[in-house]
Amino acid sequence: LNAAPGPAPRQHVRFLPVPAEDGSGVTGLVATRVPMLADHRLVRGPRFRRLKIGAGHRLDTKASGVFVLGIGHGNKLLTDLYNCHLTKVYTVGGMFGKATDDFSDTGKLVEKTTFDHITREKLERILAVIQGTNHKALLMHSNIDMKTQEAYELAVKGLIRPMGKSPPIITAIRCLQFTLPEFQLEIHCLHETQQYLRKIVHEIGLELKSSAVCTQVRRIRDGVFTVNDALLRTQWNLQSIQKAIWDCQLKVKTELEKTLG
Amino acid sequence: RGLAKAAGPRSVRQLKEAEEAAPVFQYAGKAAKRKDRVFVWGFSYSGALGVPSFVKPDVGWKKPRRIQATPYRLETEEKISSAACGYGFTLLSSHTTDITKVWGMGLNKDSQLGFQRSRRDRAKGYEYVLEPSPIPLPLEKPQQTRVVQVSCGRAHSLILTDSEGVFTMGNNSYGQCGRKVVEDESYSESHLIHQLKEFDSRVVQVVCGQDHSLFRTKKGAVYACGWGADGQTGLGHYNITSVPTKLRGDIAGVNIIQVSSYGDCCLAVSDEGDVFGWGNSEYLQLASVTETTQVNVPRHLPFKIGKIKEAACGGTGNIVLTEEGNVFVWGYGILGKGPNLIETAVPEMIPPSLFGWSDFNPDICVAHVRCGLSHFAALTNRGELFVWGKNLRGCLGTGRMEDHYFPWRVTVPGEVVDVACGVDHMVSMVKSFT
Repeated sequence: LNAAPGPAPRQHVRFLPVPAEDGSGVTGLVATRVPMLADHRLVRGPRFRRLKIGAGHRLDTKASGVFVLGIGHGNKLLTDLYNCHLTKVYTVGGMFGKATDDFSDTGKLVEKTTFDHITREKLERILAVIQGTNHKALLMHSNIDMKTQEAYELAVKGLIRPMGKSPPIITAIRCLQFTLPEFQLEIHCLHETQQYLRKIVHEIGLELKSSAVCTQVRRIRDGVFTVNDALLRTQWNLQSIQKAIWDCQLKVKTELEKTLG
Repeated sequence: RGLAKAAGPRSVRQLKEAEEAAPVFQYAGKAAKRKDRVFVWGFSYSGALGVPSFVKPDVGWKKPRRIQATPYRLETEEKISSAACGYGFTLLSSHTTDITKVWGMGLNKDSQLGFQRSRRDRAKGYEYVLEPSPIPLPLEKPQQTRVVQVSCGRAHSLILTDSEGVFTMGNNSYGQCGRKVVEDESYSESHLIHQLKEFDSRVVQVVCGQDHSLFRTKKGAVYACGWGADGQTGLGHYNITSVPTKLRGDIAGVNIIQVSSYGDCCLAVSDEGDVFGWGNSEYLQLASVTETTQVNVPRHLPFKIGKIKEAACGGTGNIVLTEEGNVFVWGYGILGKGPNLIETAVPEMIPPSLFGWSDFNPDICVAHVRCGLSHFAALTNRGELFVWGKNLRGCLGTGRMEDHYFPWRVTVPGEVVDVACGVDHMVSMVKSFT
């Protein structure tokens, strides 16, 4: 970063003595724009000595996916994005037949059950109920008085969402793949933790009169940032980071303006 | 020296072996069937919920529960196929061929639940029935006839069987039971159950309004009897009728596939998707055809909202469901489109996004609509129950005591198959998930 050409040094007007043309020795003053000495590289030193990096929504050690970071002045945008309360999308993989103490497949085994009675239909029914109860929680935690006409209009458009602290709420959930004993779900949620998602997988197993553990949690979208914008491990170099910031700037700005007004 | 050593950290191989050796539990077999359950909620002091411990606690620590605000499971001996809520009482019936096919609970001051012999005094009957009690029916072939449907009005009830006609019990001061009005008859503790058989063909649906009864036959004709001061019998006059008489007017010759009534207004749906109405129109229910407040002849309601599949009438508002799965409401009261819409004579559609429809779930649609006296209920094809309207004594079942101005989900632990709405309580028939 420091090797890249920085911003041009500031210029100021100085009155410099200039020897007169006719060699009379009387020095006149001519106003010229000269770069300030204080901005010179050798006077100032390297421009960046430390970088302030802030992290967005947390991601577990066992989970993977999109992780938003803010650099320097972008940290202020991070708090604004947090206040927007946008939904995050996860793909959660689960496996029937086992129950462990920390709800993931690397934990201590608690119980083993049969799962041959589970069909995709039953799973979809449970998911519909989870969605229904969470939708109700969404309306209740949004702190809008349900008796007003604006609440009705927002509910019709589907724009009611909690704008403050609230327990984890799932706005949408659906089954992507189902091959016994494994299944994969896509979950859209707010204010959640990855352990909560693993707990949801465990509870789905209990509801289906069996047991389930979570094998994979992957965040594919965090507000406006999707997997396509994310940088891979091999792409962690200056040019890709700068390009990524440049591409996302517009998206972030429009989203912030839309939500926070 | 043989002393026991502590276990110590187990290696990965030991853990794997322990895991494989662990026993496997089976909670549900491969052919596990889904169970049928009944959930009730609302005002309980009338006994209509069928849970005696709400009214008279059987254990010292229990307190009497006036209102059950969320769905409560009711244990029944048989699978309940049809339920109906009246004004303070409930009837449950099942398809069985056993002797007891119908159970009733709630108010019994007019013998709307038949004669319930009191255990303390064998000559007297109960005025309030707190538990689902069997109703003895005078059937000719009790072990072959099946009860198809039950319906309850303000103080009378109708039971439809498949081969022995319709049985009516309860108050008959307006002839709503289909028999001649006897002056100064005392209806409480009465053993009389009247049987109606004279219709042009088999009766397939019975509906009770507040003080009148409607019968729909297989041929598509509608018969009515009972109070007619608001024209709800649809027979062209405003007097009471004590014998079921066929309706004429715009319905004559039309094959009606569904009739509905709960207050003093009635709606009928034909097989072509048209809706006909008659009865009370003080709340603009029939204002699209007439300015009068009572209509005593069935009139066709010319709504251009599509082919209508199902209709339901409440006390002051009406609701219809079209073939596409859209819900339309009109009338007076909390109609479901926010606090600003109080009354309308023309049907207004409720946006499907309020019933859970979204880009994520585009195939959700409403399958059935039901109406109580001042609230509405809608069932989606996924088995979710949405209610809205006035929350009288907790009848909505959402857990909150306030009125809901737009459809609100009721959390029921199961897939709701059917729901019956009363004045201040509701009964739902639910299938469990697995």
